Amino acid sequence: MSSFGAVLPTGARGILSSCRLQLREKSIAPAFQSLQQVRGLKNQKNKSKGKAETKSSRRGPLEFTQRNLKDMEQFALCDAMRYLRAFEIGRERTASKYEVAIRMRTRRDGPVIRNMIRFPHAVQTESRICVICPSGSKHAKDALAAGAVLVGETEVFDAVKAGKIEFDRCLAHPDSVPALNKAGLGRILGPRGLMPSVKAGTVIEDVASRVEMLRGGTIYRERDAVIRLPIGQLGFSPEQLRDNLRTTIESIKNECAGLNDRINKEIHEVVLSSTNGPGFSLNGEFKTDDSPETSALTGV
Amino acid sequence: MVNLFKRLHKLKSLTNTPDPRRPHRNRRSNLPNPPNSHKRIPPITRLHLTYAQKIYGGHQGARHFWRRVLPRLKYHNPHVPITVSPTTEQEGPAALTVYFHERLSSTAPGISGPKPVTDKYAPAPVGEEKSAVIDLKNLNYEEIWRRVQASTGAESYVLSPVDEEDLKKVADVKARAPGDRARNRAMRQAKRDQERMLAEARGEVEKSKQT
Repeated sequence: MSSFGAVLPTGARGILSSCRLQLREKSIAPAFQSLQQVRGLKNQKNKSKGKAETKSSRRGPLEFTQRNLKDMEQFALCDAMRYLRAFEIGRERTASKYEVAIRMRTRRDGPVIRNMIRFPHAVQTESRICVICPSGSKHAKDALAAGAVLVGETEVFDAVKAGKIEFDRCLAHPDSVPALNKAGLGRILGPRGLMPSVKAGTVIEDVASRVEMLRGGTIYRERDAVIRLPIGQLGFSPEQLRDNLRTTIESIKNECAGLNDRINKEIHEVVLSSTNGPGFSLNGEFKTDDSPETSALTGV
Repeated sequence: MVNLFKRLHKLKSLTNTPDPRRPHRNRRSNLPNPPNSHKRIPPITRLHLTYAQKIYGGHQGARHFWRRVLPRLKYHNPHVPITVSPTTEQEGPAALTVYFHERLSSTAPGISGPKPVTDKYAPAPVGEEKSAVIDLKNLNYEEIWRRVQASTGAESYVLSPVDEEDLKKVADVKARAPGDRARNRAMRQAKRDQERMLAEARGEVEKSKQT
C-alpha cells in the first residue's frame, strides 16, 4: 500500500491516505473486539481457553489405547466360571450375577454403540405383562408376539372384575383408554399401582416395543470404549452363559457392522467377572481338559 | 479399563497368594467324592455353614472360615454344593453341617463338639443323606479346617513347581511395591509442584498486565 503511495503524485496520495484511514479503522476495530472478547473469556474461565488454544498439540491419541493381550493370562469360559463360583461362595444367589466387559477397538471421537438385547436365558426374573388394546388389532398381535401374557379389552376387564389379576405390569394403548375409563377399573387396579396412565408412561402407542423392554431386555451402552452388562445369574450352566455371551457379542458385532463404512469398530477383549469377583479375560474357548464337568458348574 | 499389569497382578494375587482372603489354587483340599472316597469315609454330598454376621459370641472363626477356606474348597470341589446362611443372631448357632452319602464317617461324631448343636438354618438331609453338625463357636478358622479334615478325610492340595513360581512372583511384586509407590508419589508431587509454580507465575504476569 505504502509503496503505491510513494509512486503516486501527492494529490493522489492524499486521496489514498483517506482510504487508508478508513481501512485501518475497519481492520483494527474487529481486532480490538476480538482481543477484548478473549480477555473477557480469559477472566471467566482461564482453563478452558488454555485448552482450546493448544488443542491440536495436547489432544492425545485419536484412538483408545489398546494393550497387547499376549501378556494377559486368558481363560476358557468354564475355567473362569470355576473361579468366579468360588469367589461368589455364600453370596445370595439372586443378588450375584455374571457380568461381562467388552473392550472395543475404536476412535475416541467416533459414534458409540447403544442398543438393547434380549437374552435366550433371562438375567432378570421376568414379569408378566398385561396389555389393554382392541383385541384382534395389529397392536394386540405385536404385543402377544413380544411376550405379553394377557391382551385384549373386555376379556381383561372381566377377568379383573372377577378378581383374577394374573400380571404384574399393565400397559394400555391410547385407543382403549376410553373403554378402560368406562369399565371403572381404577378402584381395583389403582391401589395396586397397575392402572395405566399417561403420567406413569403406561399409556403408549408402541405397545409391543415397550413389552419387549419390560420383559427382560437389557440395555447396553459403550462408555470409554467398554461395554459392560450383566449376562447371567450365578446358577446358570456354562451352556446357558455361553448362549447369552454369544447373543451379546453377535448383537455388538451387528451394531458395529451397521455403522458408517469409514468407521472401524472391533471387539478387542472380552472379560468375564461377577458381582464380587475379579475379571477373567476370556480366550474364546468353552472348556479345557482341566475344567470340571459342566454339571458341576451349575446351580448352587 | 486398568492397565494389564495391574489387572493381572490383582488376579494373580487373588487366585494365588499364600495367605489370601480368597480362593487359592494352591492350598486346601480335596473333599472325598465318589472316585476318591475311602472305605472309612463316605462321599460328601454337600456342606452348609451358618454363622452370625458380627464376630461377638464366638462367630469370628466361622466367618473367617467362610472368607478364607470355603472359596478354596469350592474351587477344588466344584461338584459339591456349598450353602451359607449369614444370620443376625449373635446368640444363634455357628455350625458347619456336613452331609455324607448313606452313612456318617466314623470320625464325624467325635468331632462335633462336647454338646450337640442344632442348626435350624441348615437344610434337612434328603434321601440317603446323613448329616453331622460341627459346632464352630470360639474356634479359629484353622482349627475349624483341622476338624473338617478329620471328619471328612479332606486332603490338602500339594503345591506344584509352577504354583511355587507364581507365588514367588506375586510375593516379589508385593515386596517391591512400597518402593515403587514412594517413587511414584514423589514423581506425581513434583509434577503437581511444577504446575502450581507455573500457574502462580502466570497469575503474576496477568496482574502486571492489568495494572
